[in-house]
Amino acid sequence: MASIKDLTEFVIQADIEKVKETTAALLAAGEDPLKIINEGLIPGINEVGERFKEGNLFVPEMMMSAQAMKAGVDLAKEKIEGADIPNAGTIVIGTVAGDLHDIGKNLVSMMLDSSGFNVVDLGVDVPADKFIAAVKEHKPSIVGLSALLTTTMPAMKEVIDALKESNLRDQVKVVIGGAPVSQAYADEIGADGYAPDAALAVELCKKIA
Amino acid sequence: MEYASKHGDGIAFRTLTLQQLKDIHSASCRILDEVGVIVHHDEAADLLKKGGAYIDSKGRTHIPEALIKRALHSAPSRITLYNRLGEPVIWMEKSNVHFGAGSDTLVYLDPFTGERRDWTTEEVATAIRVVDALPQLDFVMSMGLLSDVDKRMINRIQYALMLKNSVKPQVVIAEDAPTVADITEMAAAAVGGREKLKNMPHFVLYCEPTSPLQLPFESVDKLLYAAENKIPVNFACGAVEGASTPVTVAGAVAQANAEALCGLVLHQLKNPGAPFLYGFGGSPLDMRTMVACYAVPEVLLLQGCVCDLSRFYSLPSWGYAGCSSSKDFDEQAIAEATMFTVMGALQGCNLMHDVFYIESGRTGSLELLVLMDEVISRARHILKGVNTTPEYLAVDAVKRVGPGGNYLGDAHTAKHFREKWQPTLSDFSTYSSWEAAGAKSMRERIRERLRSIMQEHKPVPLAPEVEEKIDAVIKQAKDRLGI
Ligand code: B12
Repeated sequence: MASIKDLTEFVIQADIEKVKETTAALLAAGEDPLKIINEGLIPGINEVGERFKEGNLFVPEMMMSAQAMKAGVDLAKEKIEGADIPNAGTIVIGTVAGDLHDIGKNLVSMMLDSSGFNVVDLGVDVPADKFIAAVKEHKPSIVGLSALLTTTMPAMKEVIDALKESNLRDQVKVVIGGAPVSQAYADEIGADGYAPDAALAVELCKKIA
Repeated sequence: MEYASKHGDGIAFRTLTLQQLKDIHSASCRILDEVGVIVHHDEAADLLKKGGAYIDSKGRTHIPEALIKRALHSAPSRITLYNRLGEPVIWMEKSNVHFGAGSDTLVYLDPFTGERRDWTTEEVATAIRVVDALPQLDFVMSMGLLSDVDKRMINRIQYALMLKNSVKPQVVIAEDAPTVADITEMAAAAVGGREKLKNMPHFVLYCEPTSPLQLPFESVDKLLYAAENKIPVNFACGAVEGASTPVTVAGAVAQANAEALCGLVLHQLKNPGAPFLYGFGGSPLDMRTMVACYAVPEVLLLQGCVCDLSRFYSLPSWGYAGCSSSKDFDEQAIAEATMFTVMGALQGCNLMHDVFYIESGRTGSLELLVLMDEVISRARHILKGVNTTPEYLAVDAVKRVGPGGNYLGDAHTAKHFREKWQPTLSDFSTYSSWEAAGAKSMRERIRERLRSIMQEHKPVPLAPEVEEKIDAVIKQAKDRLGI
């Protein structure tokens, strides 16, 4: 029978079927689900992340590996009762009001998701009050805002202001991104962080979560 | 070769066979029929439904092929654009090529200091004057985003700057239909009235679907306004291949074509016969950096498909040229922009924009613009093709000169040498005379040209009463918006 070590390799190879088969077999044999996640699946995606950083692997391959890992995690989770499922933190993310660009935001969401974050994606053209409602509902540690238009950048500040008004500002970290956005703008509107691309967005969120 | 481009004397370029065109058309029809689109606009959804589209329980609008056929039948196959003086200057049809600048870059790359900074109103005005002065550029766009005006006024003020600093026709970006209405008002003031503008269009409106397969409210609102007012308009998706469209060229074209056709259907339902410009572009995602890249080879292929499809559909075509993903005005920028320009010319794209874009549309380089003016002139010369009439085959001259002779002293040379391409920037002198003249690099010569245009070029001014009308439109908009 394939081992926990093999599981890591299957995640790296992005072989969803083998990940599912092996996870199911290990569970059936009585293996600890948390051990399967922590020692089999997660090391696989971590290795994929390393290889991406070294430039030996591309984003679509990383996405496929992430899907393979998730398929395994989902199976293992079914067997976990009450115990805490490993999770890097919750992030509520969206493209701000008036802006329909979502490709960059979706990438950031997907990468965060692959890195173990619980991502609540509110979509595009999201008004401030919707962010507030989502923060109340999901209690995230991070709120991520995306804007690609100069005209919609002020809407980021509106979300921050709304968080203040609702007395939620000190419960969440706000990170922002998008082509016209900069560290200087983040400082100006009092955001907690800015990242120029999806890989750095993950690093940023890991750092401040 | 039926739908290949046809230029002077036999020059032709084809990307797709007839069978491939039919396969793409059929794939796009399947997408509109089987997958459907999401229409965020009640009037538009209604028009489509009344026209015969089916709206499913998930709210997706499915468009049958019959609607596409009807739209292709009623849409005009050609559009003429007029300059501010009322002269026809752009003929969008067949394989005619025209070039223009781009819109809304975030960063101005100072051509003299290399500094990167936000655009000011003055710099945008100057950049538009440069486009006005360059003979190979046929239309203007807004160049840069104004950092020194209220954000809600950017598009309107950009348009006023275009009218004041150039006579050339424009391609216009506007955030919503009320902005288009103000732009139309300003254009009408400049050309002599609404009715004249309607029949002698001075600008094209740039509208976009949101891929994949969504029609946002503002875009559709503008599209319908344009149809009603006979403003030439496109519905051109900016595909980010691998993210908003399939990663393959054919897949991207099939989906983008479906989106463009869907725009056309809606537009023709609103006002059959109103002018529509067909086309779209792409900037594939680099899978390492997640950057949407301009001017890569796949995008040039995609544009080849657009041009062949446009002739297959008998619609005028819209595309790109002279742009780059490079961060600087450097060798990469020149390689990419030159390739795109030459390919676009051969492909016979009717209206090519973004000449001067670097960093995939985030930065504008006036140096690239000036260089491309000469590259376009070279490309246009190629499109003239090879004249093979007896006078040009020159057998008589060969007889006169004979073996061992020299053509320099022959009348045939004297008669025809002026037809040869002439540079405006390139240097064909000897090393020693080039050195004696200061050993100036191309870059230095470009800057000199820019400097002299900036100092000397005076665009044909607007009549004072027209300026007043334009300023009044701006003022009323400010009042309305409470600025
Ligand atoms: C694709 C595109 C579109 C598509 C969007 C499709 C979609 N589903 O998103 C369409 C065609 C719909 C579109 C429409 C418009 N667009 Co547009 N578009 C682009 C284009 C070409 C690429 C954007 C993109 O997806 N890049 C790829 C992604 C991966 O990069 P990214 O978005 O920057 O995201 C990365 C980082 O910024 C960061 N990031 C992003 N979000 C976040 C969030 C957080 C929290 C963090 C930490 C990081 C982060 O990580 C991402 C991944 O690495 C850009 C030009 C460019 N090269 O940027 C213009 C551009 C953004 N658009 C522009 C304009 C003007 C428009 C329109 C107004 C044009 C019009 N004619 O109507 C409309 C506006 C519609 C609207 N209301 O939003 C301008 C914006 C200028 C400005 N700043 O104001 C640009 C710069 C082009 C230009 N120079 O004219 N556009």
